Amino acid sequence: MTLSNEPTLSKELSLSKEELEKRVAVLERKAEREKKARNLAENQLEKYSLDIYEANQSLKSALASATQKQSELEYLAQTSSKVASEVPLSEMIDKVVALTGTFCAACCGAYITSEQGKEVKGKSDDVWHLDDSWQPNDEFRKAIHSTLPIAESRVLDSWAVLDLEPNCVEKHAVFTSLFYTNFALSGDKVGWLVFLTKTGAFNPDVLSVLKTSREHVLSGVRRRLTDVRILKRNVQLQDSLNKLEKARRQLIQSEKMASLGQLAAGVAHEINNPIAFVRSNMEVLKDYLADYKSFNNELKATFDKNQTLDAALFEKISQTLDLTYIEEDSEDILQSNLEGLERVKGIVDNLKGFSHAGDEALVEMSLNTCISAALKIAGNLFKYEHKIDNKMSNACPKILGNLGQLQQVFVNLFVNAAQAMETAGLLTIDYGENKKGVVVRITDTGSGMDEETLKQLFTPFFTTKPVGEGTGLGLSVSYAILEAHGAEVSVDSKLNVGTTFTILFPSI
Amino acid sequence: MKGIVFVKFNEFIEELWGDEFWDTLLDEADLPSEGIYTSVGTYDDQELFTLIQLVVEKKNISSKDAQFAFGKWVFKELYNVAPAGAHDFKDVFEFLHAVQDFIHVEVKKLNPDALLPEFEFLSETANTLSFNYLSPRKLCFFCEGIVHGLAEHTGQQITVSQLECEHEGDNRCVIEVVKI
Repeated sequence: MTLSNEPTLSKELSLSKEELEKRVAVLERKAEREKKARNLAENQLEKYSLDIYEANQSLKSALASATQKQSELEYLAQTSSKVASEVPLSEMIDKVVALTGTFCAACCGAYITSEQGKEVKGKSDDVWHLDDSWQPNDEFRKAIHSTLPIAESRVLDSWAVLDLEPNCVEKHAVFTSLFYTNFALSGDKVGWLVFLTKTGAFNPDVLSVLKTSREHVLSGVRRRLTDVRILKRNVQLQDSLNKLEKARRQLIQSEKMASLGQLAAGVAHEINNPIAFVRSNMEVLKDYLADYKSFNNELKATFDKNQTLDAALFEKISQTLDLTYIEEDSEDILQSNLEGLERVKGIVDNLKGFSHAGDEALVEMSLNTCISAALKIAGNLFKYEHKIDNKMSNACPKILGNLGQLQQVFVNLFVNAAQAMETAGLLTIDYGENKKGVVVRITDTGSGMDEETLKQLFTPFFTTKPVGEGTGLGLSVSYAILEAHGAEVSVDSKLNVGTTFTILFPSI
Repeated sequence: MKGIVFVKFNEFIEELWGDEFWDTLLDEADLPSEGIYTSVGTYDDQELFTLIQLVVEKKNISSKDAQFAFGKWVFKELYNVAPAGAHDFKDVFEFLHAVQDFIHVEVKKLNPDALLPEFEFLSETANTLSFNYLSPRKLCFFCEGIVHGLAEHTGQQITVSQLECEHEGDNRCVIEVVKI
């Protein structure tokens, strides 16, 4: 279809004027369209260029804002993690100063504390610098002293920015502004975070981020201050606990001595009895010895006179003095004396064991031995009208306990039982075993207790006895001792019928 | 429709019947754009349909033939201005797949508002590929022509036919390309 140029040319040359004019008109219109199209395209390109430029600009600003946001987030995250960590207050604050200074591109910054409007001298004069070094900076100190309203001591709820007057930093007119915040510490103390910058204008976005981080830091400071308080309180509590423990031991001992006092009369009687018969026996023995002396003297006199001993005479004197009886009786008397002294020794031994403070260690021990010893101490409180039915035996399983302390408990219970059964009655002691351990029951047929008394049974200083007779500590101390043994106590009582104490000792 | 199509249609008509014929077409068509086309602009689809209709009337050919011929001619023109990377294909089928997956993606990057036809591939064997031509412009014959132009470029012998065609009363246009 395409025609070569030459024929076209020759054809055009051969065209008439009219045809030529028509041809020119076509070409002119074509050229006009081309021109307009070019303008159109150029405008379009310009528009594209503008669009691209604008897109580029908005991308740049988006990137800048993203970068800013990222650095804000990084700053907040790092601050938070420092605040949440377990590092001590001073280390945390130093790190916050460095992070905040870096984030705001401040020249230098520091944490200072003030008390009643005056700066408290810290351990170090070091100031943080943008190159992340800590070193003293006199210009910083001067600028702070002339600008920071430490004397006001007003606690801010955010950050404050101060423009530095050129004259206030005099020749060191390098700093253009100062920003700071403060917060209350314990007592009248106030903590200040202060930074100096060289660039004047302060970005309000940064302030809002700083405000957020300030809240974090504050919570971290409060937490650490609380920790310190708790630690102090803990030490105090531990101290009180130690004192209480000491007091408890003293109380147990003094209660023991007090009950010993109550028992003293009975114990004295118990000791007095054997001593009385030992003494009267000794009187008899003294007579017997005199008889032997006279027998001996008579024999000696006869021998001196006759130089010989007459068997008949010997027999006669022997019969007169009834030596056979004296010999037999002397043996009985000596035996009886030995037994009497043995009884005294036993009582004294038990008393010694009872009053001895001893340590509190729990060792394997026999409840039977313990209860027998306690009965010996408290036994004389029970009169002839009283019956004691002790069903304890060595078959009773051993428990972990402190012999002295448990003896104190049982003495206390027996004394109470004896006092509850004024005229006559039966004290029964028996034991049993269950899954949890060894149960000891002590039952009396005494006056019993009403509910009011039962409720306060183990309350210290509660007593039903007349003033001067009971300390009101016996059962509460017993309860404390049993508790320390891991034992459970329960009481069953009926007025005018009797009382049963049931003690469950954990098995070994 | 993107200006490149109008610019190329202008070139195609002038090459075939001279600039006077083009001048006559514009004069009679009385288009809103006055025929001032530039490849960076976008113009109403209807202008192209009006111009094709005038060609059909004046040269007494079918619209189908006109679209087909323009499609076949315009392939190499479009190919020359296609984005870098669109020239690595040696096979018709491969290229047709790439139209959807690569070339149209690149076109969209430069002209986010461009309305492009979609190919929904229905079946493919070593020698036969059929796809559903989806375009609100319904230029399926133009598309057939382009595929022919493509085969001419790759030096492959093919036949192109429509198994279904909206212009024949079907619900869709399915184009089948067979390598001979």
